[in-house]
Amino acid sequence: MKSCRLLIITLGLLLSGLGIAAESERQAYDDRYCTTCHGTDGKGNEGVQAPRLAGMEQWYLERQLNNFRAGLRGVHPQDIEGIAMRDMATQLSDDSIADIIAWVASWKYVAAEETIEGNANAGRQLYATCATCHGNDGEGNAALGAPALAGQNDWYLVTQLKNFKAGYRGNLPEDGYGQQMRLMAQTLVDEQRILNVVSYINTLTGDR
Amino acid sequence: MAEFVSRREFLNLLAATGGTAAALKAGAALGLLPGGVAAAALDLVNPGTAGRRVAILGSGISGLTAAYELGKAGYDCTVLEASHRAGGRIFTVRHGDLIDEIGNRQYCEFEDEPHMYFNAGAARIPSTHRNLLHYCKELGVELEVFVGENNNAYLQDDSLLDGKPIRSNDYKTNVRGFLAEMLAKSMSSEEIDQPFTETEAEQLLGMLREFGDLSEGDLYRGSLRTGYASGGFLTHGVQKDMLAFRDLLTGRVGRNALAGFEGDYGPMLMQPTGGMDKIIAGYTRVLGNRMNYRAMVTAVQITEDGVDVAYDQDGVRHTLQADYCFNCIPTHLMVGIEHNFPADYVKAMKYVQRGRAYKAAFQARERFWEKDDIYGGISWMNNRSAQIWYPFHGIHKARGVVLGAYDYGGGMNHTEMNQAERIESHLQDGEKIHPNYRNLVEKPITIAWHRMNHMLGCSARWSRNFRTGWTHDEEALYRTLQAPVNGRHYFIGDQISMHSAWQESAIMSAQWALANLDERVRAKSA
Ligand SMILES: Cc1cc2nc3c(=O)[nH]c(=O)nc-3n(C[C@H](O)[C@H](O)[C@H](O)COP(=O)(O)OP(=O)(O)OC[C@H]3O[C@@H](n4cnc5c(N)ncnc54)[C@H](O)[C@@H]3O)c2cc1C
Ligand code: HEC
Ligand code: HEC
Repeated sequence: MKSCRLLIITLGLLLSGLGIAAESERQAYDDRYCTTCHGTDGKGNEGVQAPRLAGMEQWYLERQLNNFRAGLRGVHPQDIEGIAMRDMATQLSDDSIADIIAWVASWKYVAAEETIEGNANAGRQLYATCATCHGNDGEGNAALGAPALAGQNDWYLVTQLKNFKAGYRGNLPEDGYGQQMRLMAQTLVDEQRILNVVSYINTLTGDR
Repeated sequence: MAEFVSRREFLNLLAATGGTAAALKAGAALGLLPGGVAAAALDLVNPGTAGRRVAILGSGISGLTAAYELGKAGYDCTVLEASHRAGGRIFTVRHGDLIDEIGNRQYCEFEDEPHMYFNAGAARIPSTHRNLLHYCKELGVELEVFVGENNNAYLQDDSLLDGKPIRSNDYKTNVRGFLAEMLAKSMSSEEIDQPFTETEAEQLLGMLREFGDLSEGDLYRGSLRTGYASGGFLTHGVQKDMLAFRDLLTGRVGRNALAGFEGDYGPMLMQPTGGMDKIIAGYTRVLGNRMNYRAMVTAVQITEDGVDVAYDQDGVRHTLQADYCFNCIPTHLMVGIEHNFPADYVKAMKYVQRGRAYKAAFQARERFWEKDDIYGGISWMNNRSAQIWYPFHGIHKARGVVLGAYDYGGGMNHTEMNQAERIESHLQDGEKIHPNYRNLVEKPITIAWHRMNHMLGCSARWSRNFRTGWTHDEEALYRTLQAPVNGRHYFIGDQISMHSAWQESAIMSAQWALANLDERVRAKSA
């Protein structure tokens, strides 16, 4: 198949441990699978339920990749989407995480389109609590470890709030940040409140 | 004893038969049924100098069919394929191949021999799939017979006969015998007899005796159809004992022996000699440098008079301007690619779900199944590995590749396991049929289609409910996605078929789109 036979790995991630004679004959590959699931330039893909990565804070991206890899996220059997992401993350070495963080940084932030319906006005009041950590404009707060929420895919935010509540995420003692957020998610007592607060987040611009 | 079929139901059956036969004839005359459809011979008109550039997105068999036919007619096609290989869900795995599963990359270490392969995606060609067969013939793809049903293969179910594997033959022959005996007995009852004339009743009895191999008095007493318990050639054959019907009722796996090889799965089936991807090779040989690999589409913009496509290759973003676009990228992936499709189209794209097929295979150190009188075919198991396929290619050679699992959609079972867990699961399952299995197989390969790069799933699923079938809304969504956008962009692939999961589905979707385009091109030039 044409020129790809010996395609040089752009990342310089050489694969140890294969130790098979015909290695030079093999199809080369790298770990840049992200856009298959997360869409063009990481804009997010509802079809795969994989959220927007473009514009994500590096510290948060790195923490999540490490959490998935370490089994702090994406391990609950009901967390279908998280498991898909974890299967990816377990394959990443520290070097490829570094490469990928740089790659993700090259994608331009574009706010995600709105897909859900809720009462943003009612959501505004609910968001008052959230703002302490996630910022008035949903811009996030690195010092508190709370990511930006503005511009993220709304369907994804809804899933996460449900997952926190159900204990699919933020349930492990080693996941301090997740546990904090899990507590906060309990304040959204029903699905309508989740939709409302996310509808309000849809109105925020994250200071961009 | 269970209630017999009532006379009323019998009468209904008879009446319905007349009706169906009449309907069938009428349908065939209108060309609505397979019986009336010949392989579509497309005769596309040459588009002339303007309006001949076509972008083909994805090298699934639908995309390749479109490129091939359009090329013949004088269109200028460019095929963009994200993967390192062509064919999508047509994938033959052999020595040295990369299995590009996200999170579980593998390289195949089977011996480098022509018969040492397995088809990880499409594997069988029904003899009624005329359009696929038409291209096999035209592209010079050599075909051989595919063995699916094999009476000597096994059925294994922990709740059937204490988990002891039973030959498909023993199961089927005994079940048929008992069913025939029950029906024959009931024939003496006036209730059942009544709808038939005397001659018909006699004919029916004859049929039942043949069906079940009934002995005198219309009793089933076992059958030589199951083979001999001992002897048979130089000494008299000894008939096997019959099984207790009651024992055969438990466990669901046996039903596969009765229903698993019907319809599209029934004989006569075929496969290309040397692997299903010989079909893909046939197309790409003709398409030559029109094929572009590791070219991942990143944007599709429909314009007033064409389609602009962007794609990444070798770390660079390229653009391609075309007059028309045929797109077989799975719709759930296309949702995440930049586009300017209309809202109803996008809604339909998001609606389609994907099957969850999974296969695994081993290199067998020896062809142990041949020593067990099995020369190809499928054993069924009531466990997560579900099926074992014995290769019928390479008969009597030293080794072979045995399919250790084919889980065709029962869930994410193996998909969510790591490689070691998957393999252990197949070894444990296979051991129940072949006692020394664990030591007879090596060099495992697993393929979870839900994790395969650029695919993330198997067949397109439009209908949410298998039992009730398609809703009107679903049909409307489907029609929306089948129709071209602005006359420029066509979705193709098994996702644009009401009978998905076949190569024929994908090919016919492409033919439909090509014919639709051709009609408009002809109208314009007329
Ligand atoms: C396990 C299994 C068993 C099967 N068994 C049979 C069988 O026995 N007989 C039978 O006839 N059929 C069988 N099928 C079905 C058959 O394989 C499919 O219906 C058919 O191959 C689908 O073809 P398609 O044209 O829809 O394209 P697909 O095969 O879906 O191809 C889509 C292509 O698009 C490419 N792509 C994705 N994203 C991008 C992008 N961004 N840019 C460029 N390209 C991209 C993919 O890499 C892929 O090559 C089976 C399938 C599976 C998975
Ligand atoms: C097989 C598909 C798939 C691939 C490949 C994939 N992801 Fe994901 N990813 C997902 C899904 C699905 C989710 C959503 C998980 C959830 O709902 O909890 C996700 C979630 C994430 C998150 C969490 C986002 C957040 O806001 O917390 C990050 C970060 C992430 N992915 C980064 C990546 C990177 C970087 C890559 C490439 C190395 C990648 N993903 C490859 C499917 C994938
Ligand atoms: C005490 C601080 C705090 C408060 C208050 C808080 N959060 Fe969070 N939130 C966090 C932290 C920390 C994380 C990151 C968790 C992790 O790293 O896994 C987070 C994560 C999230 C996520 C997941 C984002 C993603 O990309 O996956 C959502 C959604 C979210 N918060 C919504 C809310 C909402 C809505 C509220 C108000 C009801 C709220 N948060 C209140 C600290 C907080």
